[in-house]
Amino acid sequence: MSADVSGGTHRWLRRSATDFATAWNRIGGQARFYASTLAAVPDAVLHYRTELLRLIAQMGLGSGALAVVGGTVAIVGFLTMTTGALVAVQGYNQLASVGFEALTGFASAFFNVRLIVPGTTSVALSATIGAGATAQLGAMRINEEIDALEVIGIRSVAYLAATRVVAGVIVVIPLYCIAVMMAFLAARFGTTAIYGQGSGVYDHYFDTFLSPADLIWSFFQCLAMTVVIMLVHTYYGFTATGGPAGVGEAVGRAVRTSMVVAAVEIVMISLAVYGQTGNFNLAG
Amino acid sequence: MVTSAHVATKPVRAIGGFFAMALDTFVLMVKPPFAWREYIIQTWFVARVSVLPALMLTMPYSVLLVFTFNILLNEFGAADFSGTGAAIGTVNQIGPIVTVLVVSGAGATSMCADLGARTIRDELDALRVMGINPLQALVVPRVLAATTVALALSASVIIVGLAGAFFFCVYIQNVAAGAFVSGLTLLTGAGDVVVSLTKATLFGLAAGLIACYKGISVDGGPAGVGNAVNETVVFTFMVLFAINVIVTAVGIQFTV
Repeated sequence: MSADVSGGTHRWLRRSATDFATAWNRIGGQARFYASTLAAVPDAVLHYRTELLRLIAQMGLGSGALAVVGGTVAIVGFLTMTTGALVAVQGYNQLASVGFEALTGFASAFFNVRLIVPGTTSVALSATIGAGATAQLGAMRINEEIDALEVIGIRSVAYLAATRVVAGVIVVIPLYCIAVMMAFLAARFGTTAIYGQGSGVYDHYFDTFLSPADLIWSFFQCLAMTVVIMLVHTYYGFTATGGPAGVGEAVGRAVRTSMVVAAVEIVMISLAVYGQTGNFNLAG
Repeated sequence: MVTSAHVATKPVRAIGGFFAMALDTFVLMVKPPFAWREYIIQTWFVARVSVLPALMLTMPYSVLLVFTFNILLNEFGAADFSGTGAAIGTVNQIGPIVTVLVVSGAGATSMCADLGARTIRDELDALRVMGINPLQALVVPRVLAATTVALALSASVIIVGLAGAFFFCVYIQNVAAGAFVSGLTLLTGAGDVVVSLTKATLFGLAAGLIACYKGISVDGGPAGVGNAVNETVVFTFMVLFAINVIVTAVGIQFTV
């Protein structure tokens, strides 16, 4: 009986040790993949320029049914438009309940730039170009097309992963501009046209408190986020296993991992940039 | 000519197909027999894959919210009200949105992948041949499972978000603990909590329906399943953000 118990404990110990080692090795493998992808970026830009251009076009417009609804541009614009409208809906009413509704323009300039646009853009990028990359690479992996590329002498990490990271960073520049514009316009339209605030009041507080430095930092946040999102999504696509269902599961795992990692990254950059002084002065 | 008409009407037919399936699902929900076993298995599965990412996603967002809000409040000299800002943001927006991002990112993608893999192997047709309605046996329990988990998860996400905000404000930004707690209920009341839970329920329902529709209408082999999952993520996020604005605008008329 006692031998039984100790045998069971022994097995349990060994199993948890193996589980731990597997998880540990997976983190190591992930780190190695990210390092080799980033190291392959110059190679991708120099030697696989045609593939890079094709990916930029495809990521901007989307493929299949996503192109029908207007592609990545329309999806990112739509998502930030709805979250920008929240500033009008929630901000205006909440401020009105304490008698400050004149400051809705300020809320748009402050919260949209620092909080809403980076957060929404990270979600939108991970769902559109990120999940698309995982689905494509995963399908290529289980059809053994990636092995075929290696056999005909194409460096698969540079050709497939590094090109996608570079293309993502290039595509996000116009996407960020659209995201910010849509958020601002939706907040302004909601406040002035729907809730009936004077547009002069709104514009005055908006112009007074919109800080160019904040916008630039928010833009860099989005660039940094894109690199991480594309790395996570290409990794999960590259390592997909288990047939058609495996590709789908890899997409799901990649989406939730990259959303968590991107959220942590936004917080860290915000704390680093605004943590000391806040970079904000109400008195102007 | 025929093919171009086919391509042009594809989105319209997809929307029609989605509504047809949604109506069928609602009818079959109240019609016995109900697939209890599948419902419990799916609920457990969605809960298992969602809980950890949901908690890990809500912490950074609520910390970011109170951090940004406190910069503003410090400028007014009103840091004691940071609990109010944390409550407005977490209960009304971050709680339901994070829940749904995770339920659709984790649960709906797996459902779509699973149903899609069954569809391309013709397993759904095999079920029909055996006289089993796949909507009743597979879709109804999955949609209800996503709804149940979204509702249950949003409550825990709000608690964890507020706890994270509390620790960040009290121990890092040196706000008085009592002031934070008493500020929580200043502008946020039971009405806001009801609106927030309603949102989470609607989100879960929509995510489950979209995932199941994309799953059972897959074609084109393994690459098709990958694309269907990708489209599931995009469409659920778009629908959810749209529902969020509408429910917020309606709910705020009753709560403020």
